[in-house]
Amino acid sequence: MDTVLYLVRRLLQALAVILIVTIVVFCLLHALPGGPARGILGPQATAGQIAAFNHEQGLDRSLPVQYVLYLRELVQGDLGTSYTLNEAVSRLIEQRLPKTLVLTVLSAMVGLVLAVPLGMWQAVRRNKPTDYVITTLSFVAYSTPVYFLGLLLILLFTQTLRWFPSQAPQGDTLGQVLADPAGLVLPVVTGAASMVAVFSRYMRGATLENLSEDYVRTARAGGAGQYAVLFRHVFRNSLTPVVAMLGYYVPVLFGGALVVEQLFNYPGMGLLFWSAAQSSDYPVLLGCVLVISVATVVGTLLADVVQRVVDPRVREGRA
Amino acid sequence: MSVQSAGRWGLIAPRGGAADGRSPAPLRARFARNRLAVAGVAVVVLFLLFCFVGPLVYSTDQTHTDLTQVNLAPNSAHWLGTDAVGHDQLGRLMYGGQVSLLVGLAAGVLATVIGTLWGAVAGYAGGWVDAVMMRVVDAGIAIPALFILLVVSAITNPGPLGLIVVLGLVSWLVPSRLVRAETLTLKNRDYVLTLRATGGTHGRAIRRHILPNAVSTIVVAATFQIADAILLIAYVSYLGLGVQPPKTDWGGMLSAGLTAAYSGRWWLIVPPGLAIILVVCAFNAIGDGLRDAFDVRGRA
Amino acid sequence: MNILTIEDLGVTFSTETGDVPAVRGVSLHVRPGETLALVGESGSGKSTVALAAMGLLPGTARASGRVAVDGTEIVGASEASLARLRGRTASMVFQEPATALDPLTRVGAQIAEVVRNHRDVSRSEAAREAVELLRRVGIPEPERRASAFPFQLSGGQRQRVVIAMAIANSPGLLIADEPTTALDVTVQAEILDLLRRLAADSGTGVLLVTHNMGVVADFADRVAVMLRGEVVETGPVEDVLLRPEHAYTRGLLAAVPRLRFSGEDAPPAEEPPVVRLRDVSVRFGRVQALDGVFLDVRPGETVGLVGESGSGKSTAARVALGLVAPASGSVSLFGADLGRVRGRKRRALLSGVGVVLQDPVASLDARMSVAECVAEPLRVHRRGMSGAERRDRVAKVLELVRLPRELAGRGPRELSGGQRQRVSLARALVLEPRLLVADEPTSALDVSVQRTVLEVIAELQRELGFACLFVSHDLAVVQEFAQRVVVMRDGRVEEQGPTMATLLRPETEYTRRLIAAVPVPDPVVQRRRRAEQQAEVTA
Repeated sequence: MDTVLYLVRRLLQALAVILIVTIVVFCLLHALPGGPARGILGPQATAGQIAAFNHEQGLDRSLPVQYVLYLRELVQGDLGTSYTLNEAVSRLIEQRLPKTLVLTVLSAMVGLVLAVPLGMWQAVRRNKPTDYVITTLSFVAYSTPVYFLGLLLILLFTQTLRWFPSQAPQGDTLGQVLADPAGLVLPVVTGAASMVAVFSRYMRGATLENLSEDYVRTARAGGAGQYAVLFRHVFRNSLTPVVAMLGYYVPVLFGGALVVEQLFNYPGMGLLFWSAAQSSDYPVLLGCVLVISVATVVGTLLADVVQRVVDPRVREGRA
Repeated sequence: MSVQSAGRWGLIAPRGGAADGRSPAPLRARFARNRLAVAGVAVVVLFLLFCFVGPLVYSTDQTHTDLTQVNLAPNSAHWLGTDAVGHDQLGRLMYGGQVSLLVGLAAGVLATVIGTLWGAVAGYAGGWVDAVMMRVVDAGIAIPALFILLVVSAITNPGPLGLIVVLGLVSWLVPSRLVRAETLTLKNRDYVLTLRATGGTHGRAIRRHILPNAVSTIVVAATFQIADAILLIAYVSYLGLGVQPPKTDWGGMLSAGLTAAYSGRWWLIVPPGLAIILVVCAFNAIGDGLRDAFDVRGRA
Repeated sequence: MNILTIEDLGVTFSTETGDVPAVRGVSLHVRPGETLALVGESGSGKSTVALAAMGLLPGTARASGRVAVDGTEIVGASEASLARLRGRTASMVFQEPATALDPLTRVGAQIAEVVRNHRDVSRSEAAREAVELLRRVGIPEPERRASAFPFQLSGGQRQRVVIAMAIANSPGLLIADEPTTALDVTVQAEILDLLRRLAADSGTGVLLVTHNMGVVADFADRVAVMLRGEVVETGPVEDVLLRPEHAYTRGLLAAVPRLRFSGEDAPPAEEPPVVRLRDVSVRFGRVQALDGVFLDVRPGETVGLVGESGSGKSTAARVALGLVAPASGSVSLFGADLGRVRGRKRRALLSGVGVVLQDPVASLDARMSVAECVAEPLRVHRRGMSGAERRDRVAKVLELVRLPRELAGRGPRELSGGQRQRVSLARALVLEPRLLVADEPTSALDVSVQRTVLEVIAELQRELGFACLFVSHDLAVVQEFAQRVVVMRDGRVEEQGPTMATLLRPETEYTRRLIAAVPVPDPVVQRRRRAEQQAEVTA
């Protein structure tokens, strides 16, 4: 019963957030100089043409009415039509999103698998050379613009060593993309780097905090050795707050994909967004923003639910 | 005297030593012990001198192109070579750094100010005001800053001032969450409760107790915000929507040099790339050191 | 042979400001089957001795001298050999049951882990043993409780789980570091009974670290008193508690508030109450924090509000202060309805109230000087006051609470706990309030410090004549200072009346149990009380 109540409340919250996102997106759309009409008809359009267009599209009605109409279209899955590609935005996203998901999910997995042990290792060797070296490296990884890092990787692994191609897989279907794992290596590594940096810091902090908890002393007083304490108790307790952070990292992952896709010429949603930005294709831009925001909201929701499953205290609403 | 072997469990030791409640070392001493943070301060000072005092010593023309002097490798006249339109690369590094640093600092501070006000009001008011304000923050976090930046830049094509405003408007969310959390704890501190129970006003509680005690959190947040803002400008420039030539910033220099890198003209990308990494690292290290010295919590 | 031998133990902590000796030249021993109580105030080094005996000192500590558990040397031993010893030869029970257990591991599994750390038994065998241990420490329905997470158990049950872990491998030595300090008195009595029974059953030697002289009288065979890192007095419990030799021990015992078993009540005050709660109910979410509470405090009198944790006593105080709005019922302060007055009028009303809360650290804004802290109410309510007048007034109040004038410019961090609470008191009294609300003002303090703070409050009350609502879990303190007492339980008033009448002839079973559970610091009397109670239970 508690869980059901919690889920309902959490879902309502998520809906509220998505509603606010639509308002932001709607406002951005109407903040365009001359409104959407100018965007669609181009800078040469006359005032008369714009007025006619506005009337035809219902853009001369009051903003709240327009917002409701906009929402109604959204609910029906209608994100508008691309100015330049002359295709429904929803179709474009449908084609591109899975590829971006492959990239981001792989990056996230690689990032976590590296970050968690690194963070624990640092915590155990706190204030020792290992800790300083990894800390410095993670600062550098966090501070390097993704495209600069990608470029260095291409120069090293493609131009000098010739291990991996500089282009990501170009296929249209997921099967084709996955059939070329070598092509995915550099994009995934590039996308994972800052994640390793951020999450190893989280893990280090969480592990340190847990190592000074009373229960560690109790376990040691019961005769548990250092590794037993670390892996049986501290590991799980440190992982839960890190999992909770994952949801908030979704937008950062998508932001990274935007750059990685452009650098490695990977035809995902990031590249779609970038070319839309170049050609001022507003429906595509805003459609992408909306989809990514929904993905983030769903991500944080999932992270919360996972944390609830993993941590019995959260389940009972006591933590 | 033998050393207790438990010493190897130093990792398990609680901070501090004997439970005698002596006051900890002063802030500056605690900060100074973090060598990375001290190095960070040094790096920031050096770069500020380099970008703002450097041009007085090493004067170059960064407005006019010189097509007789393009793509020169580093030499005695141009220590870092020249770029594709003949600008001296070392001078350009100073010139671009002015934009990166100024915009980064201003945007980071602006974001922190907005975030502090928003977070303090939400945290202190509590109840439904807090709920609504925090849903707005959730929504803001859900929209990737880079995407919003691109949309806005595509619409308005901002100069440095516009960039500051836009960057500030997309990055106040994290500080607002931090300040809200801090306010929530502080408003239930015993000294605030005591003040409220004996007839003190909300205004006094906020002015005299909550904001001053939240200062450390705010300063730390601001430092991280500056680091993130400098990175964000680099991304915006990379995607072709930053400040327009002949003005430039490090990110713009870096993206302008990208294709040249494939043909071996390393001097076009390595200096701006290193500059970004060093400065962003430095601000992050300072933030880390301040956070440990103040003993305030996390980045998120 | 001794199960624990400590000879000339020294422990030094290296800190930011240099080495700090915490323990010097401590020698003591525990024989099988006997309980040695190690007593002292905070900072005396008693817990450090206990940790050193387990080899659990933090990494910043250096130990010298000799510690031997059942013949095995501890100082200088390798971590691996210490791990073999801990939980098998020597076990430990800690102070804070709320945090002593891994929150994400089921309690049965945590007990089974200790079993498997030392004995080669199968998982299912260890799980069965864990259930058996839970039964031994008196957890009802042990099969079901074994799969509970720590947060699903009460504080007392959690402490029982920690004890189950400690006795899992029948150790020869049990070290208990303030095992009942975080618990309510009735739970404390149960846990002490349990420890006594377990130790007697298996001939375990116990090193009991505590600051509570009642617990010592109830439990210990011998006592060692520590002061600033050194043992100043050792001997059988009757000698040390009844015929102390060292001046420090004598002072300590004199400061302990004792429950008295005879006395008369003063005639009750008749004037209209300064604060009155009528049928007040408060809900926090699904928790009914207060349920139909009636409460009066009359001018000049002290009302003791007692009860165990979760009884609602602090909430009731917060309602009286207007910090918590009641869901139903009314609060009148100085005759005005607190639920109705707003704005300037309300603030003026509240200027007649002084507040002292429990936590000496959280009560003062660390950024302000002592003088600024004390002057804050003046700045709020006496806007017209000149700086000189204000300084004058602050100096006068600091004198009243017996704080030297030089402290005015210091920061709270530079003060001791007792000094901070007196600063809080000075701040509460600077406007000469008609009502002082004190919520556990001394429970975070050592007994000798508690004594001075309480005396200052009582003296000033006689001088200034304010009424006092005094919230406390300590019946002995309340008996000493309050004219009337209100006993709370589960958000309701269990009974109330003149202090002596209520505490000497309680009307409800609950109050009787509460009083019976308080151990008195006299081993002879305490032994008799325990025998009487056990006779009552068996009868």
